[in-house]
Amino acid sequence: MITIDMLCYYSRLRYANAMEKFTYSVLTLLFCVVSRSLAMALLVLAVNGILTVRKGGIPFYRYWRYMMIPLAFLIISTLAVIVNISRTPLDAFAFQIGNYYLTGSYASLYKGVQMILTALASVSCLYFLSFNTPMTDILSVLKKIHCPDLLVELMLLIYRYIFLLLDISFSISTSQDSRLGNRNLKTSMKSFGAMASVLLIRAMAKSGALYDSMEARCYDGRLKVLDEQHPPKSKEIFWIVIFEGLLLIFTIWSKLK
Amino acid sequence: MNTTPILKAEDLYFSYDNENSHSLNGFSLEILRGKKVAFMGANGSGKSTFFLCCNGIHRPSRGTLYYCGEPYDYSRKGLLKLRSKVGIIFQDPDNQLFSASVYQEISFGILNLGVSVEEARQEVEQVIEKLEITPFRHKPTHALSGGQKKQVSIADILVMHPDIIILDEPAAALDPKHTVMVNKIVNQLTKDGITVLMSTHDVNYALEWADEIVLLHKGQVLMHGSPLDVFTDKEALAQTNLEQPAVLQLFESLCKKGILDSSLPLPRNLQTLESYIENM
Ligand SMILES: Nc1ncnc2c1ncn2[C@@H]1O[C@H](COP(=O)(O)OP(=O)(O)O)[C@@H](O)[C@H]1O
Ligand SMILES: [Mg+2]
Repeated sequence: MITIDMLCYYSRLRYANAMEKFTYSVLTLLFCVVSRSLAMALLVLAVNGILTVRKGGIPFYRYWRYMMIPLAFLIISTLAVIVNISRTPLDAFAFQIGNYYLTGSYASLYKGVQMILTALASVSCLYFLSFNTPMTDILSVLKKIHCPDLLVELMLLIYRYIFLLLDISFSISTSQDSRLGNRNLKTSMKSFGAMASVLLIRAMAKSGALYDSMEARCYDGRLKVLDEQHPPKSKEIFWIVIFEGLLLIFTIWSKLK
Repeated sequence: MNTTPILKAEDLYFSYDNENSHSLNGFSLEILRGKKVAFMGANGSGKSTFFLCCNGIHRPSRGTLYYCGEPYDYSRKGLLKLRSKVGIIFQDPDNQLFSASVYQEISFGILNLGVSVEEARQEVEQVIEKLEITPFRHKPTHALSGGQKKQVSIADILVMHPDIIILDEPAAALDPKHTVMVNKIVNQLTKDGITVLMSTHDVNYALEWADEIVLLHKGQVLMHGSPLDVFTDKEALAQTNLEQPAVLQLFESLCKKGILDSSLPLPRNLQTLESYIENM
């Protein structure tokens, strides 16, 4: 998660209009899930891969590694759909174990692959957004589409605090290591407990200080901030409309079929 | 010439722990408009506490603060008005920066003053330019160096155009390059007529920079005067654990040895001392 955070600041698509990126990935995700079509999943995977790696400049191996995380999980969970235990062998494959067969049909195999690819394509949509858009930009989009202010403001503060507290916990654990705090399981557990309690206290103190500093700048209960403007480009909008239109037609067609 | 002090503290008492001990203990002070005032004193002598009182974050349990002759008004409206005039830059930027985006961070204060979005954008751009934040304006705040965070935290306040700017140990944890940069910014502030209060442990810098020095000791003002008055008072310095500035030490020892004439005015910086030696 921290790598993702770092990557998005270097992405070449970072300064593309956030609303465009948001709309693109949410719509594409929707069409993927609604149509459940194999062909569409492959198309979306390819397009998102090209956008993120070629256009965004995210290193391929990074992207690949992140795609592998859900893949392993998906394969394990779709095994239940693909593999059956039955007395009679099915058409796709069958391994005999005593009186029983470990077996599966072409239909369920197809379904399994379809599920995996649809899920991967959906994940790639979210990756596209998070690899190419800093969190603060995503939050400003959420604000524009009228997400409750309280929620957006909380997320803004939490996002900043994740890094502050991570910093503190890193430095504490380093200092514990330097004093052999993690020599064995017992000391490790003790060190971790100590760190957790210090972290809690520090978080409270930090939030008090932060509130003071916001008050000192005339904070009046509403967290008003400006975002940098990256106006949408008509060429990008054109391609998004074309692409989403295609997906829409394809989705309708696959449902009517 | 307006002689009403811009800020006046009258016999302030403040305690963090229900009056068991006092962080401010009968603290009185007057500060005139446009002055550069250095606050010096040991850790825990009450510098930060006083600064937080100036901004209305803490309310003294006894005593009164005055801004331009008016006693502080602790109503919501009064505080907002006060805070638009008195800005404070905290010692630790991590306690001040609340947003991961530099632009959001800087725009916060000025928007709170109720200006239009267009005007706020202009102001933010100006201050980014002025404080040389442009090279890292697109980085997230958690990826900035300590010095860069400091620059942003100063911009946070400058964008609001306050009459008084308080800097709490601005040079703490900064490398020499950023210390010079902060000093440059501070000099620019005083040229613009802003009253600057700064706490520091650097006697050499205070001697050269400040118009007035306030020595704090256990929540009280031990001494308040010109840098030369304060830094020649060895008793007061010893009580607050401060060294005499190097220039003064050297000047004194050169006078004692008869190398320099002790009737020369005391030098405030190395250049002056150097010119004395050159003109011997
Ligand atoms: N948040 C706090 N809670 C309790 N005591 C505090 C707090 N902040 C400061 N103090 C106490 O108040 C006194 C003055 O502290 P401070 O104003 O921070 O001094 P300085 O800034 O000069 O180092 C110290 O004795 C310190 O222990
Ligand atoms: Mg302090």
